[in-house]
Amino acid sequence: MPAVATTRDGPDAPGGAGMSARRGRPRGTPLQRRQARTAWLLAVPFLLLFAAFTAGPVFASLFMSFTDMRSTDLRTPLNVELAGLDNYTQLFSDPLFRKVAVNTAIFVVVGVPLTMVLALAAAVGLNGIQRLRGFFRLGYYLPVVTSIVAVAVVWRFLLQPDTGPINQLLGVVGIDGPDWLGSTSLALPSLIVMAAWRNLGTLMVIFLAGLQTVPREMLEAAEVDGAGRWQRFRYVTLPLLRPTLLFGAVITGIGYLQFFEEPYVMTRGGPLNSTRSVSFYIYDHFGFGNYGYAAAASYVLFVAIVVLTALQFRLLRPKT
Amino acid sequence: MSRQMTAVAALAATALALTACGRDDEGSDGEAAPAEEISEGPATGNIEVWAMGTEGEGLGAFLAGFEEENPDVTVEVTPVPWEGAHDRIATAIAAGETPDVSLIGTTWMGEFAETGGLEPTPTDLFSEDDFFPGPWASTVVDGTSYGVPWYVETRALFYRTDLAQQAGLEPPTTWDDLKTFAQGLQQAGAQQGIYLQPGQGGSWQTFMPFAWQNGATLTDGDAYTLDSPEMIEALEYYTSYFTEGLSQNTVLQPGALEQMFADGTIGSFISGPWHIGLVRDAGATDNFDVVPLPGRDEAPGASFVGGGNLAVFTDSDNKDGAWKLIEYLTQVEVQQSWYEAITDLPSMPAAWEDGPLTEDELVATFGEQLEHTEAPPAVPTWEQVASVIDTDIEAAVRGTMSAADAVADMQSQASSIGTGLQ
Repeated sequence: MPAVATTRDGPDAPGGAGMSARRGRPRGTPLQRRQARTAWLLAVPFLLLFAAFTAGPVFASLFMSFTDMRSTDLRTPLNVELAGLDNYTQLFSDPLFRKVAVNTAIFVVVGVPLTMVLALAAAVGLNGIQRLRGFFRLGYYLPVVTSIVAVAVVWRFLLQPDTGPINQLLGVVGIDGPDWLGSTSLALPSLIVMAAWRNLGTLMVIFLAGLQTVPREMLEAAEVDGAGRWQRFRYVTLPLLRPTLLFGAVITGIGYLQFFEEPYVMTRGGPLNSTRSVSFYIYDHFGFGNYGYAAAASYVLFVAIVVLTALQFRLLRPKT
Repeated sequence: MSRQMTAVAALAATALALTACGRDDEGSDGEAAPAEEISEGPATGNIEVWAMGTEGEGLGAFLAGFEEENPDVTVEVTPVPWEGAHDRIATAIAAGETPDVSLIGTTWMGEFAETGGLEPTPTDLFSEDDFFPGPWASTVVDGTSYGVPWYVETRALFYRTDLAQQAGLEPPTTWDDLKTFAQGLQQAGAQQGIYLQPGQGGSWQTFMPFAWQNGATLTDGDAYTLDSPEMIEALEYYTSYFTEGLSQNTVLQPGALEQMFADGTIGSFISGPWHIGLVRDAGATDNFDVVPLPGRDEAPGASFVGGGNLAVFTDSDNKDGAWKLIEYLTQVEVQQSWYEAITDLPSMPAAWEDGPLTEDELVATFGEQLEHTEAPPAVPTWEQVASVIDTDIEAAVRGTMSAADAVADMQSQASSIGTGLQ
């Protein structure tokens, strides 16, 4: 799938450390040239594997998106017609595709900030305590390594309309809890909360590492200057954390744009397609045998990922 | 994204890139070639078989009898999980690396036959008349049969006898009866008189029997014919169960149905033979019964038929042995002992006439129902159209669309998808 390629943004994605060096191209000092050589050398194994096993199918699938290939053409793939942009125009005129695109957009726009805020809060909290830090770190990280199937069973139980603990808790304070996964307006928000819970562990560990790099002297200096807790966090910690936040936003954004597992195991895209995502739609169409059409949808998703990532780089790039 | 799916796509894409384009104008690869002659005498050589689920687990040991009859043959059974089986077969066909025989879900027949990857059924070896008509129809794509029904499943009405007795009701035979019946069960204490699947994957299997009972059709052979007054009327009847509060309008979680039926929360439901065991496991023993579906005006009504077909691949090296294996599996006695082995229902009426299938009355009911069944059309795009129907059923049940609008939407989407036959 094309989307896979975007997760490897090159050496300068994590932390954004390589960005300023790149501005000074093409020829730098001998040291820089030596570094560039080493970088290429290290990248060679990946590039070879990519060229041998991934590049061909990626380009072929791009080509496939401009044909009318279906599963019935499997034995005779030469028997297909070029369809030009037909798949793409058909895609954008499909009301279901527009619906899943909106669902995915909501998932990203609400889910990414929510996950980041929760993860940052957890990281700051854990950074401030010494005892039991390992215990809590493990606790928050556990959902990340737990199988989605097990997670789904537990969450479905939690969200049960009559017998679920969440609604029973609401019942105690006199609120008649809704059917979370059965309602077209609440199912997607429920999945967003679940995804945030499930993914905050990874971000928390990354943010925790970022917090450790904030120099203590700087915070102390700010304190001496009369900055309160919030001000220290807002004007010292947060700006220094920018590259880490960018990295977190990029990987979460890429992951959430492709969200698939949550609706697949929890709601099967229902009720009334209110939790169907673009990835789910693509999966369906590959299943229906519409290979050309599904390939076109994959490339639309790929472009969306590139655009979102570029946008995040613009918004969150370190200010110099 | 599913790995299998990606593999198929990548493979298809690579194959595409290596070759030039251009669809042949005159006919396609799906055109039927005459079946090859099957030799006399026992089967020989190596036969590779793929089977899914319980069938895949049980078949290897079961075929000892076949190997005894044909000493020069080696059968190799590979169990394949149902999940991902479709993609695996598609990948195998694309690569030309297929087994000799595979179990194929009835709703996949159109797609795989259209690729040209399946062999036409040798008509001298298998006779249409030996099989139930619905299941046989599922093997026929564009006029040619590409496989043989192996086992079948159909849907009938499960109901709680104690509640029905309390309400003083006989099992329903017409639509009006069924409505009264559901209301009666509800008055006798059930929270829901009947559970009908309110949408999502596979709800067409519960809905379409009502449409068929009313005379609606899915295709006329060339095009989808969903928007008929009969279809609208059936959908209105179906949705009335939800608006009148006789069935819940959200989908039950897996496992909940049996439990709720056993404890009397649900008075009746429509499902297949596997539910006999599930319901008994959930604790209902003597207080339930199964009857054929009611018809619109008289019983029995048409029901959905599914199951599994056995097909031979064009790329098989041992087609002769493969068809002989299928011939063995569709002998009446073998079908009966296969039922005893893993309770798969035989696809041949003769196997129901005596022996083990007459012993359990509940199972025998399904035999009765099998005489009145319809199969979904064996066309390559059926799965996609089925998912459209599922969504529109859900919209009608939830009241976001009128039955007439839902049916019109089914038709317009199905028309633009097309049957996929060339």
